[in-house]
Amino acid sequence: MKRTIPILITFITGGIIVLAEFIPPWAILREHVLIYFQIIAVFAFFLGGGSLLKINCQKVVRKREDWQFAIVTLVGFFIMLALGLFKMGNPEMVDLGFAADLNASGSWFKNVFDAVKAPLSASMYSLLAFFIASASYRAFRAKNSDATVLLVSAFIILLGQTFVGVVSTGWMPEWMSFFKVENLSLWLLAKANLAGQRAILIGIALGIISMSLRVILGIERTHLSGGDE
Amino acid sequence: MPDASPIGIFIAGLLTLGIFSFLYKDNPVYKVCEAIFIGVSAAYWAVEYFYSALYRKFWLGVFPPAGSGVEADLLLWGGAILGALMLCRMIPKINWLSRWPLAFIVGATAGLYMMLFFVSNAMKQIESTMQPLIQDSLLETLGSFTIAIGTITGLIYFFFSKEHKGIFGGAAKVGIWVLMVTFGASFGYTVMSRMSLLIGRMDFLFNSWATNFGQMF
Amino acid sequence: MSQPNQNSPFCKIFPTLLSALFLFTILASSPKTLFAQDAETSVIDSTLENLVPIPARPANVKAKDHVYDIGEKVDVSWELSPDDTTGLRNVVGYIISRRLDTASDFDSVGAVFSRIASLTDIGLTKGESYQYAVTAYTSAGAVSETSVSNSVTTEQEWFDGDKFWQVLLLVIIAGSVAYFIYHAKKGKPMFLRKIAGLQAVEEAIGRATEMGRPILFIPGIHDMDDVQTIAGMTILAKVAKQVAEYESRIFVPTRASLAMTAARETVREAYMTAGRIDAYRSDDIYYVTDEQFGYVAAVNGIMTRDKPATCFYLGAFFAESLILAETGNSIGAIQIAGTAMPAQLPFFVAACDYTLIGEELFAASAYLSEDPKQMGSLKGQDVGKVVAMAAILIGAVLATLGSEEGMNIETFNSAFHAFWGVFGGGE
Repeated sequence: MKRTIPILITFITGGIIVLAEFIPPWAILREHVLIYFQIIAVFAFFLGGGSLLKINCQKVVRKREDWQFAIVTLVGFFIMLALGLFKMGNPEMVDLGFAADLNASGSWFKNVFDAVKAPLSASMYSLLAFFIASASYRAFRAKNSDATVLLVSAFIILLGQTFVGVVSTGWMPEWMSFFKVENLSLWLLAKANLAGQRAILIGIALGIISMSLRVILGIERTHLSGGDE
Repeated sequence: MPDASPIGIFIAGLLTLGIFSFLYKDNPVYKVCEAIFIGVSAAYWAVEYFYSALYRKFWLGVFPPAGSGVEADLLLWGGAILGALMLCRMIPKINWLSRWPLAFIVGATAGLYMMLFFVSNAMKQIESTMQPLIQDSLLETLGSFTIAIGTITGLIYFFFSKEHKGIFGGAAKVGIWVLMVTFGASFGYTVMSRMSLLIGRMDFLFNSWATNFGQMF
Repeated sequence: MSQPNQNSPFCKIFPTLLSALFLFTILASSPKTLFAQDAETSVIDSTLENLVPIPARPANVKAKDHVYDIGEKVDVSWELSPDDTTGLRNVVGYIISRRLDTASDFDSVGAVFSRIASLTDIGLTKGESYQYAVTAYTSAGAVSETSVSNSVTTEQEWFDGDKFWQVLLLVIIAGSVAYFIYHAKKGKPMFLRKIAGLQAVEEAIGRATEMGRPILFIPGIHDMDDVQTIAGMTILAKVAKQVAEYESRIFVPTRASLAMTAARETVREAYMTAGRIDAYRSDDIYYVTDEQFGYVAAVNGIMTRDKPATCFYLGAFFAESLILAETGNSIGAIQIAGTAMPAQLPFFVAACDYTLIGEELFAASAYLSEDPKQMGSLKGQDVGKVVAMAAILIGAVLATLGSEEGMNIETFNSAFHAFWGVFGGGE
């Protein structure tokens, strides 16, 4: 029973959602499934957030390595939670009560967002500039013919975007204009790149159809058939 | 952040430097930034989801405000019941019930994606590739052939149940080269945009933050 | 420069003059201006109708039930007013009104610009009968007489006929997957080509065990509502089973709570199958934060501190793909990645030891399962590829024979459009 019902639920839900694509009166079910997911995800946060708190509390109580930083996480979590849930300092609270916009300008929630979360995100994101440099260096030591093709293609596209690249082939006569780096990079992007993208996208679609079928038909069920704990 | 407070900008700058310090090596300053980031952002999303999904979508859906003229959407209760079943995980005796909402989501996702990708990826891409091979100019004709042959050989590379040898293997080899050109193109194309991210951050540090720093002290 | 004085006589007189000029122009340019009236007719007697020409009404208003819907739409069409693109050319739009058959008054439901002769009315009730009225109007506010449509009853359809070809193609592809699943059940041996990244899985886990270091598994940064995450989980099941058998340790930090729950379920089951449920630690599978880069910051920390010997990145990834893979590189981990995010594949290819490209990600669990049924589904996918390749070839050849640039043969041109339409072309 405990194993069969989840597999049945997956089968029925998946089947209905596929059919709903072709049955107009069922279209509403597809819309609701998306909202259902959001609601379930909020409930699931009690489990996820609970795990986050548990692990950090354990770190502090058992004085594990780096336990001091767990305190910072816990304090940050509770402060932000309180600021948001109670909409503290939210200027719209006066008129609207709890219907006030969570991210209203001037609210403490928004202030912490601007001063802490936004810059942290942006900084972490900008680290990519360094990592793409080290990855490029790695790609330069092309290990095999495939990697060489990747490298040459990347190099042409990169050159095509830079002034140096354009100047370097500027001397070419008109009949060789195809090989001017800016034209060559455009051609690579618009033709060869497009072909590869299409092959990947069609492959992905087939992969998803096949995996979805395996899941719906209950052949792929490792994620559901947990024992009778 | 044009309207941010001086203290806000000051903190933002410190955190930016803290994250950058990771490039040198893992260190206590980075650990503090990481810890703050995890705590604050986890709570941020908890609150965001609470108000957007639970309050606005569910609560106002099943209990629409009087006089709004909106009918209560009773179907939404299904989501709440599944959500509640999720919480059964915390009760050892009935924690197997939490597999039901999971099964629901997995089934629904499989169904939704199957149709979505079949139409938007498979059908759409096949349809777009059906172009005349002969075009007005030699270059365009070459382009059309490249797209058609590239797409087909790319697909041949993905074949699972046929050994890649002989002519088939040759085609698969061309296919993987086409894929590598594609990856190279994306890679080269992205480098500049990633650089601009860093420039943006540097601009914040050297302009907004440094100026603010000067004004504060 | 100084501001003009708002109270100067010029500022008062100029707008008045301008208005008078404007009015004069309007009146003078109309064919029925008051200057053209008989001398006996008093200017004061003129009504608005004399001042503004009335357009002729739109004719032949038809209302039709919208097909393939749930009975909530009606398509309304009409013939343009003779004064729209010809005649007076003064029509700027049409007002469409509706009434229930039983009601007496029409209520406006929408308006369209001139030269448009149709509108789909939405939000109706299934099984009710409606009538529509269409009126042309001009910029001066003159409205034509109203034309009323036939009565139409809304109906609900149970099949979306526009999607007939989609159904057929899906049945062919999904049908062949299902066929080979069934075919494989009979125990027919099947060839599957090697995928390097999957062959390396066992070796990578073994290496971590030998080095006494943990394994890191990232099932992407999306939640369970992405099929890539589900693919990641199915691979996690196989990886975790081997980890359990090798008595190694696996960490699964997740960006979503639901993904954490699913991952715990998956790993627990894997340990149970391996007969090592006592070694299962639920706290090794944990939620970090929903914030994309907050999660990345945390995973970077985990990598540099716990130094996993093997890292798996299997699921949906965005910009963080390269941050993770490069950090993994810096600690010397063996890295196996796989995603169906085309934009991130280049970074995994450049920075990881092995990368599962798109379709290979979804095939991975079938490969690793060694279950004939699952492997059979892969052969079904290949049939899908043959269909796709054949369609592209046929389409391209027909287009070449039929197009103006190519041979320009009419028969092939119409054949191409019919074939193209099957795949949604030309819509």
